[in-house]
Amino acid sequence: MTDFDAIVVGSGMTGGWAAKELTERGLRTLVLEAGRPIAPERDYVEHKPPWEMPFRGLGDRRTVAARQSTQSHSVSFDEWSHVFWTDDADNPYSTPPDRPFHWFRARQVGGKSIIWGRQVYRWSDLDFEANVRDAVAIDWPIRYADLAPWYDHVERFIGVSGQAEGLPHLPDGPFLPPMELNCVEQHVRQRMHAKFGRARVLTIGRVAVLTTPHNGRAPCHYCGPCHRGCITRSYFSSVNATLPAARATGRLTLRPFSIVRSLVYDAGKNRVTGVRMIDAETKTEREYTGRIVFLCASALESARILLNSDLANSSGQVGRNVMDHIKWGGASGEFDGWTDRRTIGERPNGIYVPRFRNVTSRHPDFIRGYGFQGGAGRAGWHAALRAPGIGPALKARLSQLGPWTMSFAGFGEMLPREENRATLHPTLVDAWGIPTLHIECTWSENELAMHRDMNVAAAELLEAAGARHIEPRTTGPSTPGNTNHEMGTARMGRDPRTSVLNGWNQAWDVPNLFVTDGAVMTSSGNQNPSLTYMALTARACHYAVEQLKRGDL
Amino acid sequence: MERRELIQWLVATAGLHALDSLAPADLLALGRDVHGSRDPALRVLSPPAERTVAAAAERILPGAPAAGASAFIDKMLADWHTPVERERFLAGLPELDTRCRSRRGRVFVDCAEADQVAVLTALDDEVTALRASRGAAIANEHWFAMLKYLTVYGYCTSETGMRALGLYPIAGRYDGCARL
Repeated sequence: MTDFDAIVVGSGMTGGWAAKELTERGLRTLVLEAGRPIAPERDYVEHKPPWEMPFRGLGDRRTVAARQSTQSHSVSFDEWSHVFWTDDADNPYSTPPDRPFHWFRARQVGGKSIIWGRQVYRWSDLDFEANVRDAVAIDWPIRYADLAPWYDHVERFIGVSGQAEGLPHLPDGPFLPPMELNCVEQHVRQRMHAKFGRARVLTIGRVAVLTTPHNGRAPCHYCGPCHRGCITRSYFSSVNATLPAARATGRLTLRPFSIVRSLVYDAGKNRVTGVRMIDAETKTEREYTGRIVFLCASALESARILLNSDLANSSGQVGRNVMDHIKWGGASGEFDGWTDRRTIGERPNGIYVPRFRNVTSRHPDFIRGYGFQGGAGRAGWHAALRAPGIGPALKARLSQLGPWTMSFAGFGEMLPREENRATLHPTLVDAWGIPTLHIECTWSENELAMHRDMNVAAAELLEAAGARHIEPRTTGPSTPGNTNHEMGTARMGRDPRTSVLNGWNQAWDVPNLFVTDGAVMTSSGNQNPSLTYMALTARACHYAVEQLKRGDL
Repeated sequence: MERRELIQWLVATAGLHALDSLAPADLLALGRDVHGSRDPALRVLSPPAERTVAAAAERILPGAPAAGASAFIDKMLADWHTPVERERFLAGLPELDTRCRSRRGRVFVDCAEADQVAVLTALDDEVTALRASRGAAIANEHWFAMLKYLTVYGYCTSETGMRALGLYPIAGRYDGCARL
């Protein structure tokens, strides 16, 4: 008799889904979360105005420098949300000095689903067939048809607002009403359509934020900073949706402050029998047993647990093929007109231009492609902070809005490469004595060529729309990891010699072990990946429960 | 040490350490402050420095002191800025008195509004020129650029400022093409 039917490691984006699916299918499920519990009424701070913050939103500079210098590189890290990221001093890792990698980590119930960007895009066979078509790495073991019903299943539950566009390479879903494009975004959409037809489409972002009441959650009220929490539960997070659903079954046990050190393995049966964990507060160690184990700890943490367990790695692929999405290419431009118009409310969403490179044509410099995110708006007082002048003139300037400015920012696919790799550090351990990771990850020429092209193509779009003062981005490519889409470290495949997991997210080497977070990705696509992780998780749970019932695990 | 004691100790040491080095006008200003400090909790700004900061903030952005400029600037100097930045600010601030004295023989707080505006405008022009000649990073380090930035930022993130700018309370809806 085991303590539980299933053990899920992690309570974030995928852990929450595993908890919901496994409990709803009858399994007594233990979810182990490394961080603290989250109570929305106590911990969500999206409505706290700046004057109630010690540094008015500028952040506790000294403490951040000492304890969160890596985490603070995330776009959604701020004085309010910094509590949703880990302490770097307690959670160290290393990289080569000249090759930084930003490993963003969230340890609390809800994980990174509290602070994610909420953009959700389906993959298509343009993505699932990419590796085999280009002879890169290994083939995915699944195709769009395998995942489509699970995309439906996930989207129906989480609630996705968006506009159906009928694009074969960015399949539509059962969308809630789309959010509104503002005046200039509508103009750019029309002008792009006139110039590029269906080849380059601007649509409103597809976002896991409700525009109508949905499954007992309220629609968005446009306050803006979703990454600080959401007391109306309008955006999807595991805290807001999947964990409550799992709890409602009466079969969920959620244990916070539970850091999983390794898996417990029975070589005679070739099964994991449970997990070995450390209580984060008392630092005492204990074990839990279960019939199946789901690793949903995030791509690099799940790889770390596998490496620390010395399990499921007969292929030697655990920790390899680290991928992220390359960004910081693009352009912005100004528009004359609409001077008597402004936006009201903070729309937690932008525009999306689905991939258009290497879809029907072939780009000479790179394979794969990228999508643009961005939007149009008018600058307010921030633009006047350093403006010349004092007195009543300066005060008047603060309430004036700048010209409409439209920005496009690319998010590009990264190819899997074995040398982009996380390994166990030989000596470095975290505050609980658990060996941590050394991460080596760099962009290849394909990503860098794509990054250069983002500037060119964004300028073309702005030119087509009639923008002036078009300025390409000059920041250079992002640091790997900074997009917070790390993936690939325990990939799915068709062959146990070259992959860690089969087509059901099941470890080739250990049949009752499943991994369903970003680690499983065989290629990276260019779309924001969380939706695909969630769909893969739901699908794997369905499979695991069927196998368990049949007595095959 | 109790917080109240700590505050009293800070006020005492910051305000009274060198009475004999002060000009008569400074002594007058100090007397006003010792007996009627705006905020006994200030940790970096001495009472005369706070009076100067508040007077300058009012000319830089009318309404900023009433929205709490002094307390915000003091907090930032105490807990956010580096010691180097803090010292640069505190070393630069007396320049307001120096410039007013050379114009009118009075410290900044006792100068007429027009003289205060002239002194601040000259400093603002100097920072603007610095921005043009040596770039934003250098210009932003100037003590007056710090004073102005903190004044403006503090106002725009205060309840008074956010209400005046129409940023608070939130609208609770989205309109992508509203009339101004």
